[in-house]
Amino acid sequence: MNTEVREAIIESGGDDVIKCYQCGRCMAACPWNLLGGLNYATYRFCQRIKLGAIIDSEEKEAIAADTIDVFRCVGCDACKSECPRGVGLSDVLRAVRRILVDFDSYPGELKSVVARLFNSGNPLGEPAEKRADWAEGLNIPQYTEACEYLYFPCCFPAYDARAKKVAQASARILKRAGISFGIMGKDEFCCGEAVRRVGAEKVFQTAVKQNTELFKKAKVQKVIATSPHCLVTFTREYPEYYDGFKTRHAVQVFDQLIKEKKIVPKKPFGKTVVYHDPCTLGRQMDIFDEPRAILKSIPGLNLVEVPVFNREFSVCCGGGSMGLWLDWPQDERLANIRTEQILETGADILCVACPYCLHMFEETMKSMDVDIEVMDISEILEASLD
Amino acid sequence: MNEIFALVEHRQGIIRDITYELLSCGRKLAEKGNTKLTAVILGHNTDNFVQILKGQAHRLLVVDNEVYEDFNSEVYQTALTEIIKRQNPVLTLISHSAFGVDLCPALAAQLGMPFTTDCLDVELAEQKLKVTRQIYDGKLNAKVLLRENAGYMITLRSGCFPAGESSLDGVVEKIDTPVSAQPDYRKFIEYIEAAVGEVDITKSDVLVSVGRGVKEKAYLSIIEDFAETIGGVVGCSRPVVDAGWLPKDRQIGSSGKTVKPKLYIALGISGAFQHIIGMKGADTIIAVNKDPNAPIFSEADYGIVDDLFKVVPVLKTKILEMKQAKG
Amino acid sequence: MDIIVCIKRVAQTAEADVKIDSSGKDIVKDRLTFDMNESDTYALEEAILLKEKFGGTLTAVSLGTVQAEDTLRIALAKGADSAIRIKAEDFEGLDGYKTAQLLKAAIKDLKFDVVFTGCIATDDYYSQVGVTLAELLGVPHATLVTKIDIQDTKAQVHRELEGGLIEHLDMTLPALFTIQTGINEPRYASLIAIRRAAKKEIKVIGASEIEPTGIQANASLEELFTPPAGKRAEILSGSMDEISAKVAGIIKEKGLI
Repeated sequence: MNTEVREAIIESGGDDVIKCYQCGRCMAACPWNLLGGLNYATYRFCQRIKLGAIIDSEEKEAIAADTIDVFRCVGCDACKSECPRGVGLSDVLRAVRRILVDFDSYPGELKSVVARLFNSGNPLGEPAEKRADWAEGLNIPQYTEACEYLYFPCCFPAYDARAKKVAQASARILKRAGISFGIMGKDEFCCGEAVRRVGAEKVFQTAVKQNTELFKKAKVQKVIATSPHCLVTFTREYPEYYDGFKTRHAVQVFDQLIKEKKIVPKKPFGKTVVYHDPCTLGRQMDIFDEPRAILKSIPGLNLVEVPVFNREFSVCCGGGSMGLWLDWPQDERLANIRTEQILETGADILCVACPYCLHMFEETMKSMDVDIEVMDISEILEASLD
Repeated sequence: MNEIFALVEHRQGIIRDITYELLSCGRKLAEKGNTKLTAVILGHNTDNFVQILKGQAHRLLVVDNEVYEDFNSEVYQTALTEIIKRQNPVLTLISHSAFGVDLCPALAAQLGMPFTTDCLDVELAEQKLKVTRQIYDGKLNAKVLLRENAGYMITLRSGCFPAGESSLDGVVEKIDTPVSAQPDYRKFIEYIEAAVGEVDITKSDVLVSVGRGVKEKAYLSIIEDFAETIGGVVGCSRPVVDAGWLPKDRQIGSSGKTVKPKLYIALGISGAFQHIIGMKGADTIIAVNKDPNAPIFSEADYGIVDDLFKVVPVLKTKILEMKQAKG
Repeated sequence: MDIIVCIKRVAQTAEADVKIDSSGKDIVKDRLTFDMNESDTYALEEAILLKEKFGGTLTAVSLGTVQAEDTLRIALAKGADSAIRIKAEDFEGLDGYKTAQLLKAAIKDLKFDVVFTGCIATDDYYSQVGVTLAELLGVPHATLVTKIDIQDTKAQVHRELEGGLIEHLDMTLPALFTIQTGINEPRYASLIAIRRAAKKEIKVIGASEIEPTGIQANASLEELFTPPAGKRAEILSGSMDEISAKVAGIIKEKGLI
C-alpha cells in the first residue's frame, strides 16, 4: 500500500475516491465497454488509487498500458450519473493526469495539443490574428459594452473550415432575430475545458486568466456559446476565478427566440433527423428539451430518437478530454458504436450541437462510408428560416 | 591569409557529393581572402580521387594509407591534428554529415580551435569568422561570430553551397601518414546495408512519400493504392519509420535515401530539413499538408493545403479518369 | 555499470509560432512549452535499459535554469538514481563548447563506464556537445547511435549514416555515445516513481563549484533573424475536384500518365 500516491491524487482533486465501493455500475455505464472485448475496468480505478496501486508497476509495458487507460476516459460522465455514491470518476482521473502531465508522462499527441494551445491560444495552433476570419463578410461588430451578448464561437468553429459554417449560421440567426451581440476575435483564448480535463492545469489557468481579464475589461455580462464545452467550463469552473458573466448555449437562445416568435421556422425541412445529445450539454448541463423543441418547431422535420441510448443515456462521440486528438485503433472508437446506433434510426441527418461531435461524426461517417449527413442544429434551423 | 582546407569525404571508394560543395565554398572564400584552397584527402588508393579533384582546388594534400579506407573519426582526428598543427590553415571545412559531426567537435577541441557546426553561410574577413546557422526547428536563423583565432573549423550543411565548375590545376602533395592502425578502443568493422526490401525507392520516377500526417499504419494501404495508380512507389519521412510503419529502406532524408524522381508527392510531410535534403533534387514536387506554414511548401512547386486523406481519393479518381480517357 | 546521461530542457518549437524578442538575440518564451530534448529521451531510455540489464548507477546531468530540475526529475522518475543541475544562470554565452566544458567539470570526478547524450538538440541544432565532451573526458565516442550491444568492456555499436547505411563499430568502454531517435521506445514514468522523484534531492552546482576561468565559448550570437522566404509553392485552390484536376494535369504534362 502506498498512501503517498493516494494523498497526492486526493490533493490534486481526486477526493471522490473515498466514496467508491466498487459496485461496478460505472463500468456498466462506460461507453468504452460497449466495445466488445475492451474490458475497461473503470470500477477498479478508485480502489487502486486508495491502495496507491495505480501506475505503480516497475514494468515499462504495464506502466504504458495503465497510462493509456488513465487517458482513455473522455469525461462524458455517464458513470457519474449512474453512480450511487456520486463519484466523479472523470475528476478522479483528471487528478491522476495532473500528476502525470506535470511530469510529462503522457501521450505525445496530447503534449503537442497542449503545447499548441499554450503557444497560440487554440488547439489547432492557428494564429490568433485569424480568430475572427470566420466572421468575414457577416458584419459582426467587435464586442463593446453596448452589445448585450458576447458570441464565443469555440476554437473549432473559429478556425476549422467545416465548423466555421456553424459559427456563421449561428451568427446569422442571431442577427435575424435582432440580438445585440459582438465578438472578441484575436484576444480570445480557448476556454480551456479540454486542456483541464487532460490534466494540464497550468495551461487551463492561463486560459482562465486571459479570458476573464478580457471579459472584465470589456464588461462582458452575457455570453452565447456554440460549444457545450465552453458552456460547462464557463458555468461550472470559471466562477471560482471570476463570476461576472453568465453563459447560455446557442440552443437555449434559439429556443427562446422561437418561443418569443423572434424567429419563425417556416421553410419545410423534409428530412428525418436524429438528435445526438452531447454529453456536456445533456448529461452535464441538463439541456435536453431545448434542442428537441427547436427541431420540433421546424415544419416537415421528422425527429427520431436513438432507441434506448438517448437523453441522459446518450453515448459519447469520443471527442471529449482531447479524445479528438487520440487515434485509437479502428475497433476502439466510440464514434463507431454511436454511428451504428444512429444508423438503426434510419435518419437522413444526424443533428449535433457540439463542434467536437460534429468533427467526430463527420470523420466517422467518412471512414465507415455511411451516407448520413452531419449537421449542427444551427445549420438546420437556419435552413428553415426564409 | 593562410590557406583554407576542405576535407574530402568519401565512402566505399566514392567521393561524396557534399565534398564538391565544401570545395566550392572553399574556393569562394579563398578568392575573397586572396588565399588558396587545399583539398585534404585521407584515403586509400587515392589516385582516382586525385584525378577527379585536381581541378577543384589549388593544392591536394594526400595521405594514403589503408587505415583511411573507411571512416574512423579517431584515426582521422589523430592524423588531422598533426597535419593542421603543421600547416596552420585559417579555416578547415568539414561536411555536416554523419562523418563530420563525429569528427569536427573532437578534432577542433583537441586543437583548441574555435569551431561550430551546421553552417548555412560563411563570412571570413580580417581573420574574423561569422557564420549563419539555423535554429529552433529551422524557424529562425542565427548569425554567430566565432572567438577570434588564427584557425577555425566548421561543418557545412549540404545543399547550401552549390557545387560549381572549376578548372584549377591542383598541385598534388603527398605526405606520410601520422597513423597506421585503428585504435583498439574504436575499430571500424563493416558497413551494413539497411535491409533492402522488394522496392528500391531510388530507382522510381514517381515517389509518393508520407509523413507523420498518415497517422496510422492501417492508412498506408490507401497510400500504397494511390502510388500504384500513378505508377509510383511509397517512401516516407523519419517519423513513419520510427513508428515502425515502413521499413528503413523507404526512408527519404539525411538519414535515409536521397532520391531524384521526376515526380515527388509529399503527403502529410511537414518538411524538416533532414527530409528536404533527401528529396530536393526531384524534378517536380507536389506537397499536401494541412498546415499552410509547413516548410515543405517552401520546397514544393505546387501545394495543396488540406488533409491528405481528403485529397488522395479525389486525386486518384481524376488520374484514373485521365488514364481511361487516354486508353 | 555506471552510467551518466546528459539531458537538456528545450522549448518545443516544432509546431509553435517562434518570435524574436526585443533584444534580437533570444526568442519570446513565455508562451512556449518546454520538455526534454527529443533525442535525449532516447538517450535516457537507453541508459535505463542498460542499467536494468547490468545494474549499477545512473546519474542524469543537465545544464539549465531551475526549471531544468523538472526535466531532471523526469529522469529520476524514469530510473536515474541521482541528478545534477549545473546552474546555467551562473554562466554567460553558453555555446556547445562551453556547455561541454561545464558538463565535464560536473562529471569528471564521477565513476562511469558509459556516457549518453542525445545526438542533436532541437533548439540550437549543434550536434557538438556529446563529441566535445568525449574529447574533454578523454574517452572514445560514437555519434548517431542506433544500436548498442555491450559485453564486459566491449561494445558493438551501430551508427546511422546517410543513404540508409549502418556503420558497425567495435568499441571499448568507457565511451560516450550520442543517441539517435528511434533506437528504443522511451517509457512513461510511474506515479510512485514521480512521487519519489519529487522528493529526491538534486545536486546543484554553480560558478562557486566550477571554477569558470579558462572556460570559454567558441561562438557568440550576433543576431537572430527570420529566414528569407524561399520559393513558395504555388498553392492550388478551388474545390477538391478542381484541385485534383489541376494536379492530374500537371502529372500528365510531365509525361507520367
